[in-house]
Amino acid sequence: MAVELTRPALAAEASALPARALLVTLLRPPVILYVPAALFLAAFFLVPLGLVVWMSVSDPEFGFGNYATFFASRYDLAVLARTFQTAFVVTLASLVFAYPIAYVAARRGGAVGGFLLGVVALSFWTSFLVRTYAWMVILGAKGPVVGLLTALGVSPPPRLLFTTFAATFAMAHMLVPFMVLALYAVMKRIDESYMRAAASLGARPLRAFLTVYFPQSLPGVVNGATLVFITCLGFYVTPTLIGSPQDKMIAGRIGQEIEQLLDFGAASATSMILLAAALALFTLYDRFFGLDRMWR
Amino acid sequence: MTGDDASSLRLSRRKLLVAAGAGSLSIPFIRRARAAEAIYVNTWGGPWEEAARAVLFDPFTQATGIEIKTIAPVSFAKLAAQVRTGVYEFDVTTLGVSELARANHANLLDKYDESKIPAASLWPGAVTLNGVNSHAFANVIAYRKDKFPAGGPKNWAEFWDTAKFPGSRCLQNYSARVLAFALMADGVAPTDLFPYDLDRAFKSLDRIKKDVRVWWSQSPQSQQLLRDGEIELIGMWNTSAQQLIDQKVPIALSYDQAVIDVAAWVVARGTPRTRNAWRFIEFAVQPERLAQFAQRNNYGPMNPASFKSLPPEVVARMPTSPENLAKAVVLNAEKLGPQFDVMAKRFEQWLSS
Repeated sequence: MAVELTRPALAAEASALPARALLVTLLRPPVILYVPAALFLAAFFLVPLGLVVWMSVSDPEFGFGNYATFFASRYDLAVLARTFQTAFVVTLASLVFAYPIAYVAARRGGAVGGFLLGVVALSFWTSFLVRTYAWMVILGAKGPVVGLLTALGVSPPPRLLFTTFAATFAMAHMLVPFMVLALYAVMKRIDESYMRAAASLGARPLRAFLTVYFPQSLPGVVNGATLVFITCLGFYVTPTLIGSPQDKMIAGRIGQEIEQLLDFGAASATSMILLAAALALFTLYDRFFGLDRMWR
Repeated sequence: MTGDDASSLRLSRRKLLVAAGAGSLSIPFIRRARAAEAIYVNTWGGPWEEAARAVLFDPFTQATGIEIKTIAPVSFAKLAAQVRTGVYEFDVTTLGVSELARANHANLLDKYDESKIPAASLWPGAVTLNGVNSHAFANVIAYRKDKFPAGGPKNWAEFWDTAKFPGSRCLQNYSARVLAFALMADGVAPTDLFPYDLDRAFKSLDRIKKDVRVWWSQSPQSQQLLRDGEIELIGMWNTSAQQLIDQKVPIALSYDQAVIDVAAWVVARGTPRTRNAWRFIEFAVQPERLAQFAQRNNYGPMNPASFKSLPPEVVARMPTSPENLAKAVVLNAEKLGPQFDVMAKRFEQWLSS
């Protein structure tokens, strides 16, 4: 909050004496604090990104040929559409899984809440690759799920691995922690007295939840959905390893353009299109909700 | 990009761009070339590297004093990236027929001539498209014996026959090999295979698409799928299949209509360690050394003199033994050369549609 309070003052200075204001801004402690990070990002993110942009318009020849090829290709457009569709389904699924967890953790607090958040954090700290392999074991032909179904008399046991279902389910599982944390942060700030007030006015628990609690948790839903959706757009390993051959997402397509087709220009252009899609979503979010809210 | 060698930072516009960009902050950390010389070899890791270390790398270091450092896994894309950026992570790698043709076409390879390796040190036909042929591996049919106790498919037509041999199938995500399977499954004689009739090949692939549950990309993956029984029939490398048999996994393999691919040693164009890189290659394809390397991995040595030092029962397990070779087809780099890019693109689109 302290930073926000100083903003109007800064703005006033800036309009009065631009040069001095700039100097003041530059010498303020926060600037010194973020310079190392800014330099790091410039060297290891912005410059390489610039090279990718350059490659996308210069390889094999200068111009927008790589982009034209992408948008003229029904195959590439289908992969792009599938990527968005998958991200949508995964976002929805992770919301369904995450909402109850965050709800219980936020309202119960104490040991139960701590335990739930602990489980979510543990899952959050485990790498995507490890979790993907875990799902391979769980859903595999000799895994517990197929074993249980066989014991229950399902014959022949269903093939679970290498299906769209497996990939979608695993991706949703991986993104649940993001969703839980986004929801929890908002839910924790919802005042319990509103729910008590609703109850004292005669609302049953479900009614109180739907008309009082849920609308207040919506900012968390939007934050979580944006985070999950954008993260999901770039998924590579999971759909490649446990999805069906037809589940290729756009990151897999980029990998293929480099690894198998050695087409660095096309891969760069595809990467830029993916980046543009993510930025477009962020811009929409910023426009309607304000980007700084995502981290609060 | 570890940028392990300062001498690779010769100045050119492109290199300067790269140095100024991705590598700028790493320059202070780049190790200076040491007094002792070293070359960097791209390997497949695992058992492959163990065998190479024992019979090729360490003896080479003993003989020449040149150290060998390894980078795994083999990456064709990295070879291309190195030549583009001028930052060399490895100097020497092995390429299969299709990568060799594409790499040579894309001018990624240091040109072979007799000053690099004297002809007396090689054998006729040793060099293809600037690669020195080293060892052959076969893409064979393998299947679970517990699923097919009476015997599995013997050729690709039978592999394609889902009525006679029901079960989950798996093939490699690798167009040049899979299209050969598809054409033979459709009745094309091995002698008429090259160049590929692409339309016919994809039509044949259409017939089996829904039965191929997985398209493997790494050889341990192909082994795991078969070991776990996740799939029952597979087109895989004889080397990985043989390892499973040695581990007593109940599988069988057939060399009938095996598609033989050849790994060739190549030197990345523009690397500052060219001379030692060629010295290593010359060393690595000498008959007895190559024989030992091939034997450890169930490869077939490409140097004909290698067979002299091998016992007949070992030769019988090799894809290039006279008996196995007679049943197999060898990928033809020259006739397939112009098709590789087209078929790779078309295959990718076919796969995910």
